Amino acid sequence: MKVARRSFLSLSLGVAAGVTLSPLPWKLMDDISIWTQNWPWTPVPEDGEISYAQSICTLCPGGCGINVRKINNRPVKIEGLKEHPLNKGGLCPLGMSGLQYLYGPSRIQSPLKRVGKRGSGNWKKITWKEALADVSEKLYDLRVSGRPQALACIASTDRGTVPKLIARFLTAYGSPNFIRASTAFDSLEQAIYLTQGQQGTPGIDIENADFILSFGTGILDGWGGASRMCNLYGKHNSTKKIIQIEPRLSDTAVCATEWIGINPGTEAALALGLAHVIIKESLYNKDFVEYVSFGFDDWTDEDGTVHEGFAKLAGSYPPDKVSQITGISKTKIVSLARKFARASKPIALAGRGQGSVPGSIDECLAIHSLNALVGNINRTGGVSVIPGPDYAKWPEVKMDVAASKGMQQPRIDGAGGKQFPNTQFLLNRLPEIINSAKGESPVQALLVADANPLYTLPDTAATKKAFNRIPFIVSFSSYMDETSAMADYILPNHSYLERYQDVPTPAGLARPLIGLAKPVINPVYDTKHVGDSFIQIAKSLGGFIENAFPWDNYEAFLKESLDDQWDELNNKGFIENKYDDLPAPLAYSFNTVSSKFEFYPTLRNNPKNKDVDVLPAFTPVPIEGDFQKFPLVLIPYDSIRLAGNYIANSPFMTKTIDDTVLKQQTVLVEINPITAKKLGLCEKDKAVLITPKGKADVKIHLYEGIMPGVLALPRGLGHTAYSKYLADKGVNVNDLIGPIKDPSSGHDMAWGIRARLTKA
Amino acid sequence: MKEKNNHTKRFGMVIDLDKCTGCGSCMVACYAENNVPFRVDETNKLDSLSWLVVHKITNGKPYPNTEICYLPMPCMQCDGIGKHGHSPCVSVCPAVATDYDHETGIVSQIYTRCFGCRYCMAACPYHARKFNWWDPVWPADMKKYLSPNVSPRMRGVVEKCSFCFHRYQQAKDKAFYEKREELYEDEYQTACAEACPTGAITFGDLNNKNHAVYKLKKDPRAFRLLERLHTNPKVYYLTSKSWVRRAGDNYLANEEPGKIKQEMVHGH
Amino acid sequence: MSQTDQHQPVSTKAMPGANETPAANSTGWIIFLFFMIGFVGSLLAGWILFPELLYSKKNQPIDFNHAIHLDQVDDGCESCHFFREDGTFAGMPGLDSCIDCHEEAQTDNPEEIKFVEEYVTQGIEVPWLNYSKQPDCVFFPHSAHVIGADMSCETCHGDIGNSEHTRVYEQNKLTGYSRDIWGHNIARLGKHKQGEPAPMKMNDCAKCHKKETGHKGACFQCHK
Repeated sequence: MKVARRSFLSLSLGVAAGVTLSPLPWKLMDDISIWTQNWPWTPVPEDGEISYAQSICTLCPGGCGINVRKINNRPVKIEGLKEHPLNKGGLCPLGMSGLQYLYGPSRIQSPLKRVGKRGSGNWKKITWKEALADVSEKLYDLRVSGRPQALACIASTDRGTVPKLIARFLTAYGSPNFIRASTAFDSLEQAIYLTQGQQGTPGIDIENADFILSFGTGILDGWGGASRMCNLYGKHNSTKKIIQIEPRLSDTAVCATEWIGINPGTEAALALGLAHVIIKESLYNKDFVEYVSFGFDDWTDEDGTVHEGFAKLAGSYPPDKVSQITGISKTKIVSLARKFARASKPIALAGRGQGSVPGSIDECLAIHSLNALVGNINRTGGVSVIPGPDYAKWPEVKMDVAASKGMQQPRIDGAGGKQFPNTQFLLNRLPEIINSAKGESPVQALLVADANPLYTLPDTAATKKAFNRIPFIVSFSSYMDETSAMADYILPNHSYLERYQDVPTPAGLARPLIGLAKPVINPVYDTKHVGDSFIQIAKSLGGFIENAFPWDNYEAFLKESLDDQWDELNNKGFIENKYDDLPAPLAYSFNTVSSKFEFYPTLRNNPKNKDVDVLPAFTPVPIEGDFQKFPLVLIPYDSIRLAGNYIANSPFMTKTIDDTVLKQQTVLVEINPITAKKLGLCEKDKAVLITPKGKADVKIHLYEGIMPGVLALPRGLGHTAYSKYLADKGVNVNDLIGPIKDPSSGHDMAWGIRARLTKA
Repeated sequence: MKEKNNHTKRFGMVIDLDKCTGCGSCMVACYAENNVPFRVDETNKLDSLSWLVVHKITNGKPYPNTEICYLPMPCMQCDGIGKHGHSPCVSVCPAVATDYDHETGIVSQIYTRCFGCRYCMAACPYHARKFNWWDPVWPADMKKYLSPNVSPRMRGVVEKCSFCFHRYQQAKDKAFYEKREELYEDEYQTACAEACPTGAITFGDLNNKNHAVYKLKKDPRAFRLLERLHTNPKVYYLTSKSWVRRAGDNYLANEEPGKIKQEMVHGH
Repeated sequence: MSQTDQHQPVSTKAMPGANETPAANSTGWIIFLFFMIGFVGSLLAGWILFPELLYSKKNQPIDFNHAIHLDQVDDGCESCHFFREDGTFAGMPGLDSCIDCHEEAQTDNPEEIKFVEEYVTQGIEVPWLNYSKQPDCVFFPHSAHVIGADMSCETCHGDIGNSEHTRVYEQNKLTGYSRDIWGHNIARLGKHKQGEPAPMKMNDCAKCHKKETGHKGACFQCHK
């Protein structure tokens, strides 16, 4: 007992000495420090063999080449393809973040059937067999009921084999209602058709133009293929002149040689004013105007009626009048006209921002007339028409009685009808037509492929109301977007990295270039190529519909369509039609009545036989709202960092958004400090933005780069679906802006809406 | 060791602000290349992890004379006074978690060594360093796209742009395999330089006469940020706008940006 | 107890120079004994028991015979552990390296039969345990060492190529890494035996670098 304490102390001392002299503490310390560096929840990515897979990006219609870096066949990074003629190794943020679409939380991982109320988000996983059987049965019943034309399909494009296959399905089924979203290229296409009689995709040879007069076109805000335009800008920024005309200092305006602020919606007046100066000072291309144009001067028709020519129309837009309309000084108008006309390869561009709104046909014609005045039609550095892709002929669709009866019905959207004979698709009119229909909705079943109309169409509330009247909606989307969320069935498509898809010449490109998107990875989830879904539905519908699809699957269809181009496309990824100059015969082969370029477009619908309805006179677009109640004007703007189309933002893109655009959940509305001061608003103040279409909570961002009296909101925010990384951030401008029908084309021509801003 | 390529490299970047359109590709390329995580709300830019930030600066003039310039800012990889690698962050790090690599001139950041005191963040005059306030989360199956070439960071450490150093490591691997002593200029490029769709970012060895950056840094439009702090950044900017150049440092009204630069160079 | 304790030192002081009583003498010994028990015990625990407890032992999924394979290949280690064209090192070979010969079992060796049945025919990669696996933050360029500095594989990995059986894989329970990284000598004293794998902690790298290149290297040389 006596020694107990001492012995204990001694023992402890011994232990301490022993432990110190043993490796235990030192080794343990080392191990613990390593342990603290290796939290099990911090992932350790698997290493392995690096390989690359080349493909074409189809997240936007730009058609850039991509090079996917893979580790052990697992994609880890998307890079731009150096060999691709458009992006040459560069890539926009959307394409760069592509893998977030492949693995992201908004991917739909198997076919789904709605079980709760529409839009409630309650889904049941079903098998592909069940999904295809259910959809086929519904479509069968609709057809048997004698109304195959009540089936409609919405797609984002009609170019490429996938939409062609879907349209073929609708034809065999008996519905003329294949509808795709419209863009500013549709207006240009129509303007080209009316003046040149040529049909095809507009080619805009920015590559070779040296003076770009852009009426608000966001050439560096995502228009015409973001990477292509950026690449051109980087290469030629010191030699090409860009004149950007718009009320807001956009990123294009930031980079432009000169930015000219203009009263929103008065671009057509400026175009006519410039034409006035060019004609008055005789700066126009006389050869072109004299020999290959029609309707420049007044002319007399067969009945002896004298018609006004373009020169006279332009004559009524002298600089001082135009200055008053546009807010641009007289001297600037005159000097701009001179600079434009004297440039060696000038080009005038119509369509605002990325061109998601088709815009007014008159405006487009007025701007296109400027190109004609300088003779820049079907010429290097000018505007031309690109022929469609050269697909092998498919066997003709044989229609049964039901199908041919259905196909004889007028299109639901009214495109191609009496009122809008020159328009192919009018998606923007669909909600209005459904909502105003008495009794049942004219659309009884809706198939949506690669489109998200519930987000991209103007006036979301009306669109939603219309969709609620459609009894059966099937979405083929890869993602839980707004439209999928409202669907009854979702038959998810492979993501763009998991599927074959041909990519026709990107809109706006002046040289034919077709690409082939190839799967770079086997499907990650239980998805199916949308083409295969349609083929399988056709097969289960049987009869003539089945016969219209003699292919086993989409890949076989694609191979047959691309025919002898398949091998080269599959190996190289793209086929470029190289030529420095447009082939001579194409140059001036106009298919108009006069066989000339028609400044006075006789092809234009002219029921009242009035010159003002044919010539592109400036009539202000009647934007919605009363000036007293809504003293301000709201315009949407586009940004490369925000995907405003049917493909929504990736988390990475949202991460790049400035805090002057989005702060927490609230979007910031851009307002000139002068206007803000009048309203008693300061930076970051909370406010309520009200338009005739709706209202939204916003914050204030004072921006010197916006015209006083004008407000601007970005496109691409305000999603309600997708994942928490995108949903409920900001406001969808389409909630606040409604469509305005162009009386001539039926397209949406709204460039904005009247608005009111009050401090919250 | 066989390698004789020991003459010092100074990898650097020249960013042509006249070409930058502010598209943000460089930022996304950087996130994707370097396993940078993302959060639901990234609007607090002070705690948003981003190794490269494209800042938006303005001349402050009212409509319609407003001008804007986009300024992409990666880590400046400061050489420090006398180019001895005495960069602001390296000199304050108590853990040698950040260090100056004399072979390449790149300022390294070792996450497993960092214990998150954030002295370096306070010391960095360019706000190039970011702190991991949260554990990274890759929702759904997004972990599958993580690259093994860059180690994912854990909560509580500082991270910053590394000039995609792992690409240098990989390029050297290939050079060794091919028994080469030197890398080709295009073999080691940062993800941002490669991604930039306008080609505004040029990357290379500032000491190598054959590299594009060697000539570009001598362009009369060239300047660096906060040059008078003598941090000797290896990121150069080109601009033809005098107001942009003026924004690159805290100049007094009567000071001329170009002249100040000369004094500084002569000072050392 | 406290009384006796207080009393004890006083009583010894009270008898300065006096012969130690047997009791006091034995107390010293006992104290020393206790010290030694503690000392020796903890030494034993630290040197022998601790390493036993720290590491768990695992066998490789297949008892691989390196010697037999080395005899039959032309290119030494690099026949299976090869460099890819981009200069990266492939490390552990996958099934595709084995399948040419081992589509079917060539011998009646139970390990080979197991390999063919459980892995080759089912197309499952063998979950080999990597003795030299470094933490994720480490970038080790094989090409710089093997090609650049002309080092042999044995320098770091030991004479594994002539082994007939796989070694037991010892895994650090705390860190999860192989014992080879720290080295089998728990005290990391002295040089490792010829033919045995070299320890691979950062200090080991630095030591060798210092010796061979004159500088222990910068952080980014081996970190990622």
